[in-house]
Amino acid sequence: MIELLKYLKGYLRIRVWGFSPERFMNLCSNRGILLWDIRREGDVYYMCINLKGFWALRPIVRKTGTRVAVLERYGLPFFLPGLMKRKVFVAGLFLAVFFWFWSSRYVWSIELNGNYQITRDVFDSFLEDCHVMIGMEKEDLDIEELEKKIRRQFPQITWASAKLTGTRLAIDIKENDTPVIPEREEKQEGMDLVSEYAGTVVSMIVRSGVPAVAIGDAVEEGSILVEGKIPIYNDDATLREYHYVTADADIILEHRVAFQETLPFDYIKKVYTGREKKKVYLRLGSRQLRLPQDRPYLVYDSLIRESAPLLFQKLSIPAALGTYTYREYQNVECRYTREEAKEALNEKLILFLTSLKEKGVQIIEKNVKIDINGDGWVLSGEFLVREPVGKSAATEISDIGETQENGQ
Amino acid sequence: MESLKLPKDILMGALKVTLTGSHEAWIENYRGILEYTECQILLQGKTCQVCFEGSRLSIDYYTNEDMKISGCIACVRYL
Repeated sequence: MIELLKYLKGYLRIRVWGFSPERFMNLCSNRGILLWDIRREGDVYYMCINLKGFWALRPIVRKTGTRVAVLERYGLPFFLPGLMKRKVFVAGLFLAVFFWFWSSRYVWSIELNGNYQITRDVFDSFLEDCHVMIGMEKEDLDIEELEKKIRRQFPQITWASAKLTGTRLAIDIKENDTPVIPEREEKQEGMDLVSEYAGTVVSMIVRSGVPAVAIGDAVEEGSILVEGKIPIYNDDATLREYHYVTADADIILEHRVAFQETLPFDYIKKVYTGREKKKVYLRLGSRQLRLPQDRPYLVYDSLIRESAPLLFQKLSIPAALGTYTYREYQNVECRYTREEAKEALNEKLILFLTSLKEKGVQIIEKNVKIDINGDGWVLSGEFLVREPVGKSAATEISDIGETQENGQ
Repeated sequence: MESLKLPKDILMGALKVTLTGSHEAWIENYRGILEYTECQILLQGKTCQVCFEGSRLSIDYYTNEDMKISGCIACVRYL
């Protein structure tokens, strides 16, 4: 700290010789002139003195009969005039500071965190509609309004927070991760549960409605499992009226599911020839600067690799360097071997089984075989599964008057 | 004087010498330098003189209040 102050005020290294240098030093200290780094070499003294003190030396020098010579000059007061001569440098310095202040008035990067269902593209186009974009002035940004708009536009966002740190706008959102339950339409008329498949009922728990089938019964596709009309009888066991409800039950049906997947004998395989061409490009904001490129190969694919230097990321400068790698390949026709075909078909089968499991289907029996027919490999399977069923369908309204007549 | 608990060096006008090892010395309450060479520094106090002897002696700083001597101090003598 003291060193810095000395530097700012400026100091000199001087040489003192003559009649009485000791007295010179005593007088200096008496008048409050700081001396440091005092060294004696022969009859000559070397010491440092601050600039202000140096100007007050003349009477002391005259009094003590010593002579003073300046050896070196240090500090800002000596450095600055030299700097001022270099006009372009100073102008550049001021320009840089000005640019720094000027550029800090804009938003240079927008960060989005916490989005799972809403894609970045969707969000970006929404921001564009709100006139929030890279390069906008910070003054024009109304963060509270933006937060409100986000919540209004996307009902699945339960919490949104935007924060401007430096030139970076960070938007944190939280999406509603509990599944949206579709509202059941409460109908006066009542709903039946009907079967989607043909099969045998193996389990049945009825919560509301009148069961139309029993465990062990074989049902057809579309047949009613639980009725949504509950008959109400008079004391004399005659039907008075129907009470309509929405049937609700857990019914598990055992039925057979067939699965077939074919695979042609031949397939096209990409074989890279190993020839590659690389092109470098520069991206500034959304603009890409690169040299014009002819079609590099007859058949090729391209790989884009982009990275921004860490410094740019930290400073939120939207510039990045990237490379295009064009890789030549040939389409080669290949024939599946038995093993390969088996593997490819098995993968498809596993996908199918996983989708069944996700629906809560239990597989009781399976019978899968791989064959060859005229077109290619065929995987056919038959599964005995237990699956929850029950699809709502409107209950047939019975005319009570008629029913009563029939009852009587 | 004892009961007032005032620092003795100020009241008596005595020299105050603080030595750190044999390489550094801080001196307060002096009047001035009488002699300064590489192997001897003679200081004038209010009541006495003090002489630092040694080799490669130099004065790191020198103000009205205090000073610092560094170098290889071999002996401190009161005259």
